[in-house]
Amino acid sequence: MAAVDFEALRDDFPNLADGQPPLHYLDSAASTQKPACVIESIRHCYAHEYGPVHRGLYPLAENASENYEAARRTLARFINAGTTDQVVFTRSATEAINLVASGWAATHLQSGDEIWVSQMEHHSNFLPWQRVCNQRDARLRIIPVDDRGRLDLENAPELFGPRSRLIAISQMSNVLGTINPVREVVEHARRHDIPVLVDAAQSVGHMPVDVQELDCDFLVASAHKMCGPTGIGFLYGTSARLRETEPLLLGGGMVDEVGIDHSSWAEIPARFEAGSPNLAGAVGLATAVDYLSTIGLKAIEQRVRDLTDYAYQTLEAFDEVLLYGPETGNERGGILSFNIEGIHPHDVAQVAGEQGVAIRAGHHCCQPLMQRLGVSSTARASLNFYNNEQDISALADVINETVKLFGKR
Amino acid sequence: MTDQSIYRAVLLDHFHNPRNKGDLGDMQIVRRGSNPRCGDEIEIGINCENNTLESVRFRGRGCSICLASASLMTESARGLKLTQARDLIEKMQLWFGDQGGVGPPGMGLAALGSVRQHPARKKCVLLAWQALDEILDEIERHPEIVGA
Repeated sequence: MAAVDFEALRDDFPNLADGQPPLHYLDSAASTQKPACVIESIRHCYAHEYGPVHRGLYPLAENASENYEAARRTLARFINAGTTDQVVFTRSATEAINLVASGWAATHLQSGDEIWVSQMEHHSNFLPWQRVCNQRDARLRIIPVDDRGRLDLENAPELFGPRSRLIAISQMSNVLGTINPVREVVEHARRHDIPVLVDAAQSVGHMPVDVQELDCDFLVASAHKMCGPTGIGFLYGTSARLRETEPLLLGGGMVDEVGIDHSSWAEIPARFEAGSPNLAGAVGLATAVDYLSTIGLKAIEQRVRDLTDYAYQTLEAFDEVLLYGPETGNERGGILSFNIEGIHPHDVAQVAGEQGVAIRAGHHCCQPLMQRLGVSSTARASLNFYNNEQDISALADVINETVKLFGKR
Repeated sequence: MTDQSIYRAVLLDHFHNPRNKGDLGDMQIVRRGSNPRCGDEIEIGINCENNTLESVRFRGRGCSICLASASLMTESARGLKLTQARDLIEKMQLWFGDQGGVGPPGMGLAALGSVRQHPARKKCVLLAWQALDEILDEIERHPEIVGA
C-alpha cells in the first residue's frame, strides 16, 4: 500500500480548505464533506449532459441513460455485487430499508414470526420493522448490547430460532462506532435460511465492504455519508431476494404493461425505481466512489483508526469525560460518543460550535440505545480520513472550555 | 467566552446559582415540562394568593439554557398578578417567535436574547414558561385549587 498524503487531501474539500476561521468538522457520521470532484461532476451533469433517463431516444437522453447505468456499474463493482442489477438506487439508506420492510417483510411475515434487530440500531433500521411487525402480528425482537457496546449474541438465544424470519443489523453503530460481526451473524443465519439485512450507512466508504464476502441478503447505504451527494442511496439485494420483493413506489418507469385491472412490473432493478431517476445524484455518487477507490479503502480505514486511537486517548485523559462503546482497536470505527460529568451534551456542542468545532449532541436517532446506556443524549465526535491532529486538539480545547464554564466550581 | 457567546455571564450565574430551585412539596400546583428529544425535564410549582403568584419554584435537569431560563422565569414571575404573568409569557413567546419586531419583556430577561439566533435551542428556553402557562390554565379551570 503506497502511503497516502492525507493532509494534502484536505485541499480536495472546499469547505475544509477555504475555512476562515478553520472548520474542525467532527460530524461525518451525520454527513461527510464533499470533495470538489463530486461537486464538479454534478455541475457538469446538469450543465452539459443533462437529459431524462430511460425515456428518450435522442442522443442527449441516451447519454443520460448510459451515465446513470454506468454509475450503477461503478457502485456494483465498489461493493463487489455479483451482478449490476443487484444494485437499486433509492433516495437514501432509510428508503432502502423501508423498501425491504414493505416489499419483502410485509409479504413474508406470518403471525407469530419474529424480526430481530439490535438495541444499537438507528431509528431507520428500527421503526420500519416495528411497524411491519405490528401490522403482521409478528414480534420485533432485540439483540441486547453489552456494557462495552457490543452485540451480546449469547443473550439472544432465539436469534436463529424457528420463528426468526429476518435479521436487520448495522455494520457500524452510528453512536458507539462498534463494528459488528456481521459476517459471523450471516454465517449462522444461512444455516437456518434466515435473511440478513445489513445497514451499512456508516461503513460503506469508510472501510472495505464486499457484499459477497459478507454473504448478506440485503445491504443499504446513503451517498451523503460517503462523500457523495444528498438525496441518493442504494439497496443491494441478492437476485433471489430481490425477486421476492414488491416495489415500494409505483409509477413511471417501473412497469412492463399497465392495464385497467392489472399491471406487470418491469425487470429488476427498474421495478424498484419508480419516477424520474436522480441522474445527477447517481453521477455524484459514482464520482465519490471513484474518488474513495483511488485513495484506497484500506488506507482510509487505517487513517481513521489512527485518528480514532488518538482521539480516544485524548478524551480518556479527562477525568470528567465518560466514553461509551468499545475501547480503541479493531472493534470500532471513527465514532466517539461521550458525556462530560454533570454537563448537558447540548452545552458541549454549543461551546464547540463557538470554537469552530462541529460535533453532534442528542440521541442520534437511537433512543432504544440511549435507554440502554441510561442517558437521554450524548455528545458525538465522528472522524473521517480528512480530519487531522489539529481537529482533535481543538476538541480537547472545547472540553477544557466546557468544564471551565459549566463544571462544578 | 466571546461577546457573541450565548453563555453570557447572567445565564452562567443562573446555571451555577439557580434561584428558587428545589423541593416542590408545598406547592399548590406543579406542572412538568419535558423535551424528550434532548432530555430536558423540569417541574414548575407555584403558590398563589389573591390572584398573585406568591412563590414560583422549579426543579429538574437539563441543559444550561433550560435551567437558567427556568431560574430567570421564577424570579420574573414571582409577585405578578395572574393576568400579568399570562401577559409576560405571551411576550416571551412572541419574542422567541418567528415574527420579529418584539423586544425582550423586561431587562432582567435580556440575557436570554443571545439564544434567539440558535433556533434549535428556543425550546430549551421556553420549556419553563410553557409549564407556567399550563399552570395558569389550570387555575382558570379550577380556581378553587388556589382558594379563589
